[in-house]
Amino acid sequence: MKKTKLGEFEELVLLTVAALQEDAYGVEIKRELETRLKEKLSVGSIQSALKRMEEKGFLTSEFGEATQKRGGKRKRIYATTSYAHQVLAEMRDIRAGLWEAIPNVSLT
Amino acid sequence: MKQPNHYAPPKWPLRLLRLFVKEEYLEEIEGDMEELFQDNLETLSYRQARRMYTWEMIRLMRPLIMKNIRITLSPNPYGMFKNYFKISFRSLMRNPLSAFINIMGLAVAIGICMLVYAFIAYDNNIDQFHTHKHSVYLTTFFADREGTLQQYGQTPGPLGQMLKEDFAQIKHVCRIEDRNLVLKYGDQVFTERVRYTDPTFLEMLTFPLKWGTSQSLADVNSVILSEEMSVKYFGATNPIGENVHIKLGNAGTKTFKVMGVAAPFPKAHAIDFDFLINFENLRLSESDGALHDWNTLVNATLVQVEDPSDLKIIQQGMDKYKVLQNKEVQKDWAISSFAFEPLATLHKNSAQIRDDISVDPPIESLVALPVIGMFMLALACFNYINIALVSTTKRLKEIGVRKVIGANRVRIMIQFLVENISVTFFALVLGFILTITVFLPWFIPVSGRELELNLIDSNFWVFLLAILFFTGIASGLYPALYISRFDAVKIFTGSVQFGKKNPLTKLFLGIQLVLSCILITGAVVYMQNTTFQTMRSWGYNQRDVLYVNIPNQSAYEHLQDKMLQNANVRSLAGSKDHLGKKISTAIIHTPANRQYEVEQLAVDAHYVNTMGLQLSDGRNFNDQSENDKHTVIVNELLVKNMELSNPIGHQFRIDSTKYQIIGVVKDFHTHSFYNPIRPTLFKLADKKDYQFLSVQVKNGSQEETYQALQTQWAALFPDSPFQGGYQEDVWGIFFSQLARMEEFTRTIACMAVLLASLGLYGLVSLNVAGRVREFSIRKVLGARLLDLSVTIARQYLVLIVSALAIGVPVSYMLIHTQLNMMFAYPMPMDFSGVSIAVLLLVCVLLGVISIQIRKVAKSNLVKGLKVE
Repeated sequence: MKKTKLGEFEELVLLTVAALQEDAYGVEIKRELETRLKEKLSVGSIQSALKRMEEKGFLTSEFGEATQKRGGKRKRIYATTSYAHQVLAEMRDIRAGLWEAIPNVSLT
Repeated sequence: MKQPNHYAPPKWPLRLLRLFVKEEYLEEIEGDMEELFQDNLETLSYRQARRMYTWEMIRLMRPLIMKNIRITLSPNPYGMFKNYFKISFRSLMRNPLSAFINIMGLAVAIGICMLVYAFIAYDNNIDQFHTHKHSVYLTTFFADREGTLQQYGQTPGPLGQMLKEDFAQIKHVCRIEDRNLVLKYGDQVFTERVRYTDPTFLEMLTFPLKWGTSQSLADVNSVILSEEMSVKYFGATNPIGENVHIKLGNAGTKTFKVMGVAAPFPKAHAIDFDFLINFENLRLSESDGALHDWNTLVNATLVQVEDPSDLKIIQQGMDKYKVLQNKEVQKDWAISSFAFEPLATLHKNSAQIRDDISVDPPIESLVALPVIGMFMLALACFNYINIALVSTTKRLKEIGVRKVIGANRVRIMIQFLVENISVTFFALVLGFILTITVFLPWFIPVSGRELELNLIDSNFWVFLLAILFFTGIASGLYPALYISRFDAVKIFTGSVQFGKKNPLTKLFLGIQLVLSCILITGAVVYMQNTTFQTMRSWGYNQRDVLYVNIPNQSAYEHLQDKMLQNANVRSLAGSKDHLGKKISTAIIHTPANRQYEVEQLAVDAHYVNTMGLQLSDGRNFNDQSENDKHTVIVNELLVKNMELSNPIGHQFRIDSTKYQIIGVVKDFHTHSFYNPIRPTLFKLADKKDYQFLSVQVKNGSQEETYQALQTQWAALFPDSPFQGGYQEDVWGIFFSQLARMEEFTRTIACMAVLLASLGLYGLVSLNVAGRVREFSIRKVLGARLLDLSVTIARQYLVLIVSALAIGVPVSYMLIHTQLNMMFAYPMPMDFSGVSIAVLLLVCVLLGVISIQIRKVAKSNLVKGLKVE
């Protein structure tokens, strides 16, 4: 996984972005991950993961609509790049391969 | 539920956010925060939501989100720093004298700080090596004495046994009682401090053993030695199995087998021992049932509990002892409550607990040490700042070049700070060497503590690093700011106005002068005070008196007979107590039902004369009169405290016996001059209780008589060690401490003067260097040397006068307060100390300024005018 330079937390955020599609913006990603991980996350950690992955080319972003709840500020909607999909798929394959390689005994 | 829109998030985190977040992320993150806040409002209270908002904001401080974080990093910092080091080394070498002065100044200051660190670390480490320090407690009690509640570290004798029997929560109990006993091994006879204690002693206080086992203490016939005592009696050999004989009071001499030797005690300790023997031996030697008598106190009772929370229950359960103690026996010592003090904090609180086993050497005098350390560091830093500014005149071109080839202001500042930190580093290394080789060996006897710099202590390294950066930055920041400000173009055209007007350097110098003034005043006043204390009357004749400790009545009689034949002996007295050596306390009950705690000396009828005490009223005791057994002689303070207008014939009770005052003596010191004189009384002692023989000799024959006394002793009692001395020496430690303290302050003051004059030297030469041209023109136009001197000196006149105007009252107040804090009878302070300080400083200042004026006078006009 070193090759792709994608950390565990980053991978989770990336997957969330991919899952949320048009709804993939800061706080929504945080909410989604919090319900799935059952733990509290900070805006800072989400944001810095997003920025880092954007720099690495896993994500692109553009401004979406503004809402009143956001004090008239626009959302920034994130989208995964095809490179990200490729890396995610690669990782899933590596993991799946490893899972299969585990002898049955140790699973029970 | 209210409409959430009424509520807005707090303002200041938002402002902070705008300050540090990159512009392009701002809208998005702000929106997120706002949305989150509104979300939170649905589940949390307004206040909680605001708090969450702030907290989230703080957690947003991440490098990726923040502005400008990468800009200051150079692509190749290594080369840059290498260049900085090289340049700083060269500029140091170009001016070796000022470099040396700078580094030395800093090194001395840092060395003193290390000393302060070692001192504080030592203090914090006292008795901290015991494994069970958090579960072992000293039993203490509170008693009401003269209206104030005082905590005592001693405990009634039977308490230890009862605690063990009554409380299952207590794991171990250990009683400790010290006696000075005569000990014999082969033909060596000494009086030694022997600690009677329970076998649990070495389990609770984990002193490691060098030889033998700690369990051996359970055997009533075995003894455990300290390493020091083992060396004293047996040298380097292992003494296990050797027999020593200890004279145990009534029980006569008993043979003990050495079964253990302690490893050397850690340096930072207050509790230790010389000889340990089983507590049962006390029962043997003092068969009067001392252990069942609530009237007697043992030196300490330690308890160890499994769970510290049990202490509350134990404390409540101890109320019944209070009843036992107060109702049955001790009416004078009404115990109001028991308390426990953990071993871990015992030494720290030892000053509040009277008579506890964690002895605190009297070092109140050194409270000022950290302050002095800070002062010296401040002096050295200000100095460095001033000299650094001067020496930069020679480096203006370098700075110009650096700026031209693209260094910005931050770069220049970093360069100077790096330079400074490396200079400080040299100073640190030098300071460390100085501390190890000079300061510590010098300071250990002054402080009476075996200080050390513990290199394994990680806090020490943190401290060094902190000192390095603090000093480096504190001394370098201002020069760096100042120098980096110059415009390259102005440097090259030569129009930089350098060092002409700089109020800050003057302020620094002013502070330096104030600090030096304080330190010099301190030194002078301490010197005066030492003389004052040495000359102070003790209230009796200490110069012509010798004393010797005697074991019993027959010894007293033998020695008395022999000494009375000596022609040098003027007068001779026997006593149970002795001034400066042993004194007891008593409680006086007046007929009006008031109580006073007083010092009490049981003496014979000759004591007052022999000691040279002066009767101011009434008469001395009469040995023959049976009546005089119920009379006392008191000191004037006691008369004053009890408000007696006509003291002679006044009666009061001690315990149940009535006493009548027959005489009053002038006040005298029973303790060292740190302590105030206490109300004191003399009463007649039984001859069988005599423990001291005091001799007044003819003036000038002290040594001769002392020799004779020793010879007599050796002839009469070959089996007992001689324990006597000159009365003048009973407070020898106090006076030698005074002398050392004086030496300490004197040294510090010398360093302070040196540092301050260096600072002034730097400042004046800066000023003169910046005005060479002006002076040259003045000279060409015919100015005389005097005119030039006035021009230079006038500038500093205001500064020096105002610094001294602040320094004088501040010094006076500070030193006055400190003196009053330390001594019960401080020297009445006058202004001579401050005057000497001012005189000294002015002389130094004049000297420094005149050196610069000479430089100007000798300077070459042509060169001066050529400066661009």
